[in-house]
Amino acid sequence: MAPRSRFLEDARIGFRAVADRVEDLARPTLRLGVTGLARSGKTVFTTALVQALRVGGRLPVFEPYASGRIASATLQPQPDDAVPRFPVEDHLLALEARTWPASTARVSELRLAVRHATRRGGMRTLTLDLVDYPGEWLLDLPLLDMSYSDFCDQSLSLARAPARREAAAEMLKGVETLDPAGPADETVARGLAARFTSYLAACRTERMAMSLLPPGRFLLPGDLEGSPALTFAPLDLKAGPAPPATLAAMMERRFEAYKSAVVRPFFRDHFARLDRQIVLVDVLAALNAGPAALADLERALDSILLAFRVGRNTLLSTLWRPRIEKVLFAATKADHLHRASHDRLEAILRRLVERAYARAQTGGASMDVVAMAAVRATREADVMRQGQKIAAIVGTPEAGQEAGGQMFDGSEEVALFPGALPADPQTLFAPAASGFRGMDSGDGDFRFLRFRPPAGIGSGTPLPHIRLDRALQFLLGDRLG
Amino acid sequence: MMVKAVKPRAGSQAASRPQVFRLDEAGITFTEIEPPIEDEAGLLPQIAEPHPRRRLGLAGLFWSGLGGLVSLGAGLAVWKLVEDLFARADWLGYVALGFAALLAVATVSIIVREGLALARLSSLDALRERAMAALAQDDRPEAEAVTRALLGVTGAMPSLARARAELTTHLGAIIDGADLIRLTERSLMAPLDARASQMVADAAKRVSVVTAVSPRAAVDLLFVLYTALTLMRRLSSLYGGRPGALGMVRLVRHVVSHLAVTGGMAAGDSLVQQLVGHGIAARVSARLGEGVVNGLLTARLGLAAIAVTRPLPFAALPAPRLSDVASGLVRADEEPAPPQAGIKRAGKASGE
Repeated sequence: MAPRSRFLEDARIGFRAVADRVEDLARPTLRLGVTGLARSGKTVFTTALVQALRVGGRLPVFEPYASGRIASATLQPQPDDAVPRFPVEDHLLALEARTWPASTARVSELRLAVRHATRRGGMRTLTLDLVDYPGEWLLDLPLLDMSYSDFCDQSLSLARAPARREAAAEMLKGVETLDPAGPADETVARGLAARFTSYLAACRTERMAMSLLPPGRFLLPGDLEGSPALTFAPLDLKAGPAPPATLAAMMERRFEAYKSAVVRPFFRDHFARLDRQIVLVDVLAALNAGPAALADLERALDSILLAFRVGRNTLLSTLWRPRIEKVLFAATKADHLHRASHDRLEAILRRLVERAYARAQTGGASMDVVAMAAVRATREADVMRQGQKIAAIVGTPEAGQEAGGQMFDGSEEVALFPGALPADPQTLFAPAASGFRGMDSGDGDFRFLRFRPPAGIGSGTPLPHIRLDRALQFLLGDRLG
Repeated sequence: MMVKAVKPRAGSQAASRPQVFRLDEAGITFTEIEPPIEDEAGLLPQIAEPHPRRRLGLAGLFWSGLGGLVSLGAGLAVWKLVEDLFARADWLGYVALGFAALLAVATVSIIVREGLALARLSSLDALRERAMAALAQDDRPEAEAVTRALLGVTGAMPSLARARAELTTHLGAIIDGADLIRLTERSLMAPLDARASQMVADAAKRVSVVTAVSPRAAVDLLFVLYTALTLMRRLSSLYGGRPGALGMVRLVRHVVSHLAVTGGMAAGDSLVQQLVGHGIAARVSARLGEGVVNGLLTARLGLAAIAVTRPLPFAALPAPRLSDVASGLVRADEEPAPPQAGIKRAGKASGE
């Protein structure tokens, strides 16, 4: 990017921050970002958070609620009129019908006014803005510092990695037969972009469960679908600048358009304004799929974490470039494990975000890791078989899920022992993918089923959860003091 | 390295493979785990053994020798007295024997009671240490054991019935170890802390008033001593300690050593304030100034006693500070002295 436009961009973000702070004086506001890769449970978490604040529930660790200081939480009209509202009512209805709510495909916002008493007495209102956005968009942020040729190098080398080669075969064939110096033909570009997109989509299935798939908007195009900014693909570039009117030049222009039309506005309007952040990670899906998926998740988290500017705010940075002061990493779907394994799940996630952890600590930000389930879909039980006690979980698997040669119809309850997580997370990250076996091998070390939400929950009732109160305490506890 | 990492998994037996059970499957028994909610009767007080670490030093030898001799002498004297009385008249002898038996029973029960009280004190100390360890390591089983023990200790406090019942229902829920300790502290300790601070503040106020009006130094010395001892005993009872006479001796030792350790740090934060307070009050009246100083001392002693007797560390709740318990005292004494406000402000400004 030209230095001048970068300066302008920074100035815009800075002015926005100053305006936000001024508004804060009149009405204390906390912007909480909820993100995570696809199917990590962002929507369910946000719904459960809103429900916990509005209806309450069993939240002993969430001190402001447990000590009775929260008077009420009401939904308010959101501040940004151009951003979709988070449809919490629809999601609650979905949960009531025992289906999981539709997933987050774009950024959405919800504003809550939390009326509470401070510890010293006296009533306050904290305005809580929840910003729910797909984690794939965070994977795009590193693109801001990349040129088109960097992007080509990186995505082609990812596609040629052994774990992905099969899914990428079509796309690679297309890339290899094309000449970057050929004429800029729209049909060719569209054909290649379609292959690129379907390769990315193939990596996302339950069997592969890959995470690091930039550009994120290709999978969740929204209203930009079919626009030139989303119709590009990596090419096998030769060294040196591309001559004008070639295919390479056209692709490069589109890549830059993607950055300025998609990535930068997201960074400026949403991401740069967050105060707190929760990153939801579905570790279990990666364990289900195998070592390649786990390694990919690690890389994806790493590049997500690079995007965060974390650290304690100084007087100047509060005004001009506020930083995210608290980041919580949550391994979701902890209800798929018996409670005895929760600590191990937490240890695995801690191992995954280790580097970010160290970085945040030098920056002065506080960071925590938790194994949680925003909506708990299972119960725990002991199964005795042949004198052996097995700590299992009981729930209703979704229709079409299968395990141990059985297919489930979505109405039968089963007990599942999903496999034992290792006490030392390092064994999972053993080199050459030998740490454990995934679903592909036909005999995986782990099998986590997707369970349906429990019966008997809905808009008026508190939701069962695991450690949601701890997450709330970490994210909101100090601001409700 | 690689082989090492793989080996335990390759050798993993069928037990660690994923398995699915139908609930009506033959050959398995199936028990659902209800959140374990125990009745109060099941939570008996746990009195830990006194510390096994008993050194038999020279002093120990000396005291045990002396104690043995004295008790032998006393026993001999009683024995002789009973014999003499028997010689004089049989009925006198029997009465004396009865009294001697009473004395023996009472002595034994006092010893037992003191021993129990000591054990209770050390079990509370041990509890605090275990709680700290559980907090640091986020150890769930240990945290649960600490919570259960505390539920037992506070079982006799009627005002905590509701908090206890609530906490008991949370025991089965999925909460991390450190969070459970904090939750326990918030639910069980908060009401006690408020009462403890009140006790300390009251004692400090009483001491300062008595010192200010007492005619002789000896009187207020005695009064301060008496108040301090009662305060410690009451604080210890409040937190479930119920110390006996020996327990009091130990408690005083703990409090004094705690004061010695933390005194320096505490002096830093409020010495200025104390000196200022003293100076103003002393200018109004020397007796009044002494009263303030004595009151502050009592307050500080009370805080040390709280830190020593409270069965949980201050983790979720803020520890009471000198200003919390002594504010009433200083304010009450200094209200008639208007320059105070100005001096205070000046002091603050230079500090910032």
